[in-house]
Amino acid sequence: MDIQKVLSEAAGKLGPSGQEMQIAEYFAEQFRPFVDEVSIDAMHNVIAHKKGSGPKVMLCAHMDEIGLMVVNIEDDGAIRLGNVGGVDPRILPACRVWVHGKEKLFGTIGALPPHLLTAEERQKNYNAKDLFVDVGLPGDKVKELVRIGDLVTFNAPLTELMNSQVACKTMDDRACVSILLLAAERLQKLHCDADVYFVGSTQEEVGSRGAMTAAFAIDPDLAVALDVDHATIPGSRPDTTVDGDSLCATIGPYIQPKLLQRLLDCAKEHHVKLQTAVSNRSTYTDADEVGLSRAGVPTVLLSLPLKYMHTTVETIDLQALKEGGRLIAHFLSELDAGWEDDLWI
Amino acid sequence: MDLKFLTELNAPAGHEQALRRVLLEELKNYPGVTTSIDRMGNVVAVKTGKGAEPRKRVMLSAHMDEVGLIVTSVTEDGFLRVAPAGGVDPRVIISKRVTVGDDKVPGIIGAMAIHLQSAADRQRVLGYSDIYVDIGAKKKEEAEAKAPKGTYICFDTDYVEFGDGYVSAKALDDRVGIFNLLRVLEDDYDCDVICVFASQEETGCRGSKGAAFALKPDIGIVLEGTTCNDLGDVPETLQVCNTGAGVCVSFMDGSSIANRNLFRHTLEVAEKNGLTHHVKRSVSGGNDGGSMQRARGGIPVVVLSVPCRYIHSPSSVVKYSDVDSQLALTKALLKSI
Amino acid sequence: MFDILKKVLAPVGPSGLEEPVAAAIRAELEGCVDTIETDAMGNLFCIKQGKDPNGKKIMLSAHMDHIGFIVTGYEKEGFLRVTNVGGIGIDVSLTRHVVFPSGVEGVVVCEPVQGAKAMKNLFIDIGAESKEEAEKLVKLGDVAVYANDCFRLGENRVASPAMDDRCACALLVKLMQTIGETKDTVIALFSVQEEVGCRGAKVASFAKEPDVGIALDVTAWGDTPEVKIPAIKLGEGCAVKVMDRASISNPALRDELLACGEAAGVKTQREVLPFGGTDAGAMQTSRGGIPVCTISIPCRYVHSACEVIDMRDMDAALKLLTAYLKK
Repeated sequence: MDIQKVLSEAAGKLGPSGQEMQIAEYFAEQFRPFVDEVSIDAMHNVIAHKKGSGPKVMLCAHMDEIGLMVVNIEDDGAIRLGNVGGVDPRILPACRVWVHGKEKLFGTIGALPPHLLTAEERQKNYNAKDLFVDVGLPGDKVKELVRIGDLVTFNAPLTELMNSQVACKTMDDRACVSILLLAAERLQKLHCDADVYFVGSTQEEVGSRGAMTAAFAIDPDLAVALDVDHATIPGSRPDTTVDGDSLCATIGPYIQPKLLQRLLDCAKEHHVKLQTAVSNRSTYTDADEVGLSRAGVPTVLLSLPLKYMHTTVETIDLQALKEGGRLIAHFLSELDAGWEDDLWI
Repeated sequence: MDLKFLTELNAPAGHEQALRRVLLEELKNYPGVTTSIDRMGNVVAVKTGKGAEPRKRVMLSAHMDEVGLIVTSVTEDGFLRVAPAGGVDPRVIISKRVTVGDDKVPGIIGAMAIHLQSAADRQRVLGYSDIYVDIGAKKKEEAEAKAPKGTYICFDTDYVEFGDGYVSAKALDDRVGIFNLLRVLEDDYDCDVICVFASQEETGCRGSKGAAFALKPDIGIVLEGTTCNDLGDVPETLQVCNTGAGVCVSFMDGSSIANRNLFRHTLEVAEKNGLTHHVKRSVSGGNDGGSMQRARGGIPVVVLSVPCRYIHSPSSVVKYSDVDSQLALTKALLKSI
Repeated sequence: MFDILKKVLAPVGPSGLEEPVAAAIRAELEGCVDTIETDAMGNLFCIKQGKDPNGKKIMLSAHMDHIGFIVTGYEKEGFLRVTNVGGIGIDVSLTRHVVFPSGVEGVVVCEPVQGAKAMKNLFIDIGAESKEEAEKLVKLGDVAVYANDCFRLGENRVASPAMDDRCACALLVKLMQTIGETKDTVIALFSVQEEVGCRGAKVASFAKEPDVGIALDVTAWGDTPEVKIPAIKLGEGCAVKVMDRASISNPALRDELLACGEAAGVKTQREVLPFGGTDAGAMQTSRGGIPVCTISIPCRYVHSACEVIDMRDMDAALKLLTAYLKK
């Protein structure tokens, strides 16, 4: 599988939280060759089922992206924006976007120019009320083609950097969905008893709503959530970031300790470099909701380090991503009926 | 040579070689035009007039350079520290793509994720002491091999036509002027036309100053891109100029006051020829007009600008019809002299 | 519709104490639906069975509860100390007439304070002259709400407290009275405790396992001089929600409802609310997840004692929902 091609194609599919139909179709097709059944549920979750007689395991990584939404259209055609998920307004000025109106419109984000701002205002970041999308059309035409509630997504192609790194939009968390794809592909050549559900989840950016309902519907015995974590950058605090070049497993109260040990042991056995990080409470990922589904689901969290989260230049290491696929495949292959023995002892 | 090709060339202030080479080659195709490079790196193309002597010498200037960044140092872990080359508001470059150096090494400008920012951080503008370019290098040596100190950086923005005849690109200020200078030279005039493709406007109008001194013109015409804020529910009185309203004629800006006679003459020519145009309603900004006006004993100067939204950002916007309008008025003005 | 509205606006029903509202609604719908039931939290279900045995279960929810002031203590002078139940705005509450379910009346007052006022600066004056007298009239934990005061404003508009969300209750009552036979089963949920986190709708949707959920609620306004967002105007039709903080409407259901509105010839507005939430959020994430949307009645000055709606928007919502259920 050409994983860089998958990342680039996935980045081009529409899928802000709550409206993941297009990206769901894409990932459903990608999973199909490697599993027995693929479905898309009412929340747009992609559920790819590889049947087995062993423990029922749910793996999930979210497909939804942060984005923008039209909240108002000025008479001069300037389109005002609201957020879908946590968009940092600092990335917006001069950002190119697609406005998904009746037609897909190219746009660029403009701001009130500095000479209209007071000296004090120039020392502040622009916020949403100062910003607008310019689609180069007169106001009446904009109002004809664009409606309140239409989606606005970032227009940012994939860029290859040095040392196997790539920068693109939506690496959070489609890079982790790609890890699941690689794992599903590799699993075909491995023995696997587990009853495996690969889930491309939805609405993570607004509170893991998709993973919540998928976990209820699947009712798994155990779960692995995959999400991105902050990689070290200049000025970052060491306790909030991890090394950029290898995967990371989370330790903390929301994570089942024996299952975590199993993941760490598996990594060691197969020479996958795996660092650890600590979350003292919520992990702010799908792991939180999945772990509390129904009567509770023992859950672990595997993270792919990423620089510049929630920007259009989210940067990951392809090597680390590929290692993730290998690790998950072996973890699933080695999951036997005895996984639950002494789980809490 | 089209506007797309010109905007996608990289020529940051002080490092205009790529565009200079292209212009020298291109100008060979213009019959009757003599081309040279002067001491400041300006490309000077002279077309002698058809009129009887003594002919007026009209200097037209458009600047080659664009705003960009320059590498000031490299961190131990391989990130590039940068300073602006020309006026770049640091607020507009976060999360944008760039190319580093003549080899166009891809790079990005990241920022601390919103999750890791405190409420105070979110208010704080990231300045050049916070901003860096990431090319993926992990060590200082690795980064320095690709981008040593002093390497120039440009925005990585392709040229896109969109909406109702609009263009989104980098460097529209002042590739629109460069584009029109070339088109001006396709025609014949009675006066001597001296086209200066100027260097280093963005770092203090340095190129045109030397050129105006050396060339001793009688009249100066500056072809520029100027800031335009006609969108986003801006009160009309605060709008500098408008896209779609044609070329914009300045009575005064931060660097020059238009010669009144030349200013009035320009407007008359526009009206007589039925050319779309409007008058700039703000005195902000500065350009080569200032350096030309004050060369030697002083030169009457007029500035003709293309309204440019989001100027000096990685993604500026002009209306193509305004670019054509700048050309039309420039030609009409030259023919009237 | 205005008569029904007046009837459901009248009862005192703060979050957690919605029974009087349920009784008023039950009286209106007795005989119009197949079953009426309540659950442990006080949710009221009025259910009409669909003709088609393979039909869907469509849950429509309107919440009965109203934001209020809960009594936390007494001052020796006879004043009541209170805290908020749901999102009470302090400025809009000052010197407001409030009423307890027992009928005791009071006025909300704030002490002189410098800087921002907080709930702890408020007290309710019920006319008691001592702590003892106050204790006899009102018990700890009693809840007061803005007193009923419903009046017409101009030709089409109505102002009242508790318009959020009794106007939707009235709409849902009218819909159930007039809908007649439908293919799908319609579950009218008059929910409790929406203002404190959509708690009623959460358990109701788990219990009833609907296939589709539609919340009926009010939304904020963007048609006063300084307010532009949300881009919603009174009298321009009911709003079909695209997104708020609690739910992103299922795009297919949203578009279907918009199409129904268009087919029924009623005006609709598309709503993006950068804050707030409705029962749709709770319904959407119930069990394995269901498609949801919210039909909103534009309402000025939401969470004040004079919430203003336009009856034409109520009629638009009724026509749209009728078209949807009849299709």
